[in-house]
Amino acid sequence: MFEIKNLNASIQDKQILKDFNLKVNPGEVHAIMGPNGSGKSTLAHVCAGREEYEISSGSVGLDGINLLDLEPEERAVRGLFLAFQYPVEIPGVASMTFLKSALSAHYKFNGKKELTIPEFMKLIKEKSNSLNISDDMIKRPLNVGFSGGEKKRNEVLQMTLLEPKICILDETDSGLDIDALRLVANGVNLLRSKERSFVVITHYQRLLDYIEPDFVHIMADGKIIETGDKNLALDLEKTGYNDYIEKDI
Amino acid sequence: MTVKPSNKTSQIDQEILKLCNDKIDSFLDYNDDISVIKREAFKRYSKKGLPNRFEESWKYTNIHKKLQNIPVSDKNYPIPLNVDNFINSFDIMSKIKSDNDILIVFMDGQFIPELSMLEYSKNGIEINFLSHGDVPRWASELMINKHNVNEDPLFDLNTILMQEGVLINVSANVKIDSNVYIIHIGNNDGFFNYRHVINVGKDSHINVTELKVSNRVNDALYTSSVLWNIGDNAIVNNVKYQAHNQSTVGFNQQYADVGSGSIFNSFTISSGSKLLRESRNISCNGENSEVSISGVNLLDGESHIDTTLVVSHKAPNSLSKEKYKSILSDRSRSVFQGNIVVDQIAQKTIAKQSIDALILSNDAEHDSKPELEIYADDVQCGHGATTGQLSDDSLFYLRARGIGEDEARRLLVHAFISDVMEEIQDTNLRNVLRDVMNNMLNRVSKGRLNV
Repeated sequence: MFEIKNLNASIQDKQILKDFNLKVNPGEVHAIMGPNGSGKSTLAHVCAGREEYEISSGSVGLDGINLLDLEPEERAVRGLFLAFQYPVEIPGVASMTFLKSALSAHYKFNGKKELTIPEFMKLIKEKSNSLNISDDMIKRPLNVGFSGGEKKRNEVLQMTLLEPKICILDETDSGLDIDALRLVANGVNLLRSKERSFVVITHYQRLLDYIEPDFVHIMADGKIIETGDKNLALDLEKTGYNDYIEKDI
Repeated sequence: MTVKPSNKTSQIDQEILKLCNDKIDSFLDYNDDISVIKREAFKRYSKKGLPNRFEESWKYTNIHKKLQNIPVSDKNYPIPLNVDNFINSFDIMSKIKSDNDILIVFMDGQFIPELSMLEYSKNGIEINFLSHGDVPRWASELMINKHNVNEDPLFDLNTILMQEGVLINVSANVKIDSNVYIIHIGNNDGFFNYRHVINVGKDSHINVTELKVSNRVNDALYTSSVLWNIGDNAIVNNVKYQAHNQSTVGFNQQYADVGSGSIFNSFTISSGSKLLRESRNISCNGENSEVSISGVNLLDGESHIDTTLVVSHKAPNSLSKEKYKSILSDRSRSVFQGNIVVDQIAQKTIAKQSIDALILSNDAEHDSKPELEIYADDVQCGHGATTGQLSDDSLFYLRARGIGEDEARRLLVHAFISDVMEEIQDTNLRNVLRDVMNNMLNRVSKGRLNV
């Protein structure tokens, strides 16, 4: 289970998250929607361990362990995965090397025997095919020269390989055309299982047509102000955020 | 109170001048070309002495701070004389050397025939040694030409003191796939001076790899100059790998004159050294010549590596590319001074320079000084320089995938130099040097480089 309790976080003395609470049971998909500046991306980065943020109180628990006490890499191997809104381009680091290092770290943590090179290649080929990721893309340096859609597909490929328990998707739909969106959503849906949960951060309802959430939360000013089912997202699309934010105040 | 006047010439200046004086005495009675240029060089050098920081091209490098005395040997370590043992103990050599290669080994300023392999010299390659007396006419002419226009006191110093070196003459139309290795090994403390001259005839193709290593931790000072004369339509691939300990001071000079339609690729890896000055003067003398000068500098401890490069375009349609990457840790310092000169006649020149430095510690320093002197009006010349640390965004991205911080840093440090390594043309040599670099970088990425 993934549970965020009374989380307060700030950057450069500006408080962004204010007593934020969220509980995600295994297998659930939670969507978090909210206007610009509501703290959605901060939430994602704080959970993953980005250092710039100051955390004054609260906890981010995964299966009873407070992730805030851990380094980013330890959070990852314990099962937290952040799909970046802007995956970083790293010239000089081959995609394959990166995937192998990431996978090895996970296997090592879980006490699993490391894959041989042929086994690894086979696994990559199998997983990348289903996401329509070409060999050529995998051979390039990490995310370098990738289109917006390719970058996001590459994020889903990593998610597929690393088999996390909790996936946080930070505006995975941004910059995607409708075909790319469908492909990415399809990749995510294939990963849905009883054990795995998702927090899907998005501005738009559109993504939720493809990844159907169990809960929809509206976030404003650093906390959740409204929770509902998928219909809340549809309402929001019609009315905009202002109605909810004003209601809350 | 009286103020003692400061002694303007320091200990090292006096010691070197005395050494030169003694050396020149033994050439006074001779009138061969070499003796004449030695005397002339001494006349020039004794007026100037070692360069100091008031000179523009020595603004960032203070010789006197790094060099107080001429190192002298108090022990005499014997030469390891078995060639197979030698090659096997020398990791890089054992991996790259093939049976047909020519191996020319120098140790502490002397040519070591027992460790060298010259029997594979092919028809069309003539090998002589500076110490063997009669310097061939072609070699002395090249030396005189450079000597006549020289303004660098360190080249004069090298001319005065040069004791040994190889003189390689490649005839026209000689194509050699195998490598010529010129190896310098520091085995004892001391002051050593090498002069190599390489003439490449037209339409020829040659690979020359220079390796400079210290066999044990010693206090060494050396000057080494390599004069290249490359005829028309020739191809030269030159790779230099130098890994010294933290007490070696070296002054390298490379001069290359490149003929029409010729390609000169020169790649250098430098690491360690208390002080290393890489002074290079490359001239595109012929139309359609192409020059690529690139390299990697790895610095740690108190190392100081200064790369000072002048690329001159003296004929139309020539191309030059300079690409250097430096990685610095601890309290090290790197300097890059790159001057591109385009003569009025050299229309349609394309000259590019890119200098990047990655700084891994708070106390390291990198100085870049690009200079362009362009007298032609139809050219493309550009330069770019970056100095920075590892990107926090990249580090976080890797760590967020479970990759530990050390490993993430290692990947990023490797990534920084990966493109420049592609400039090494020989794939086998590139792979071996990549492995060597990987081992070094694994240490440097943690903040320590141990060469």
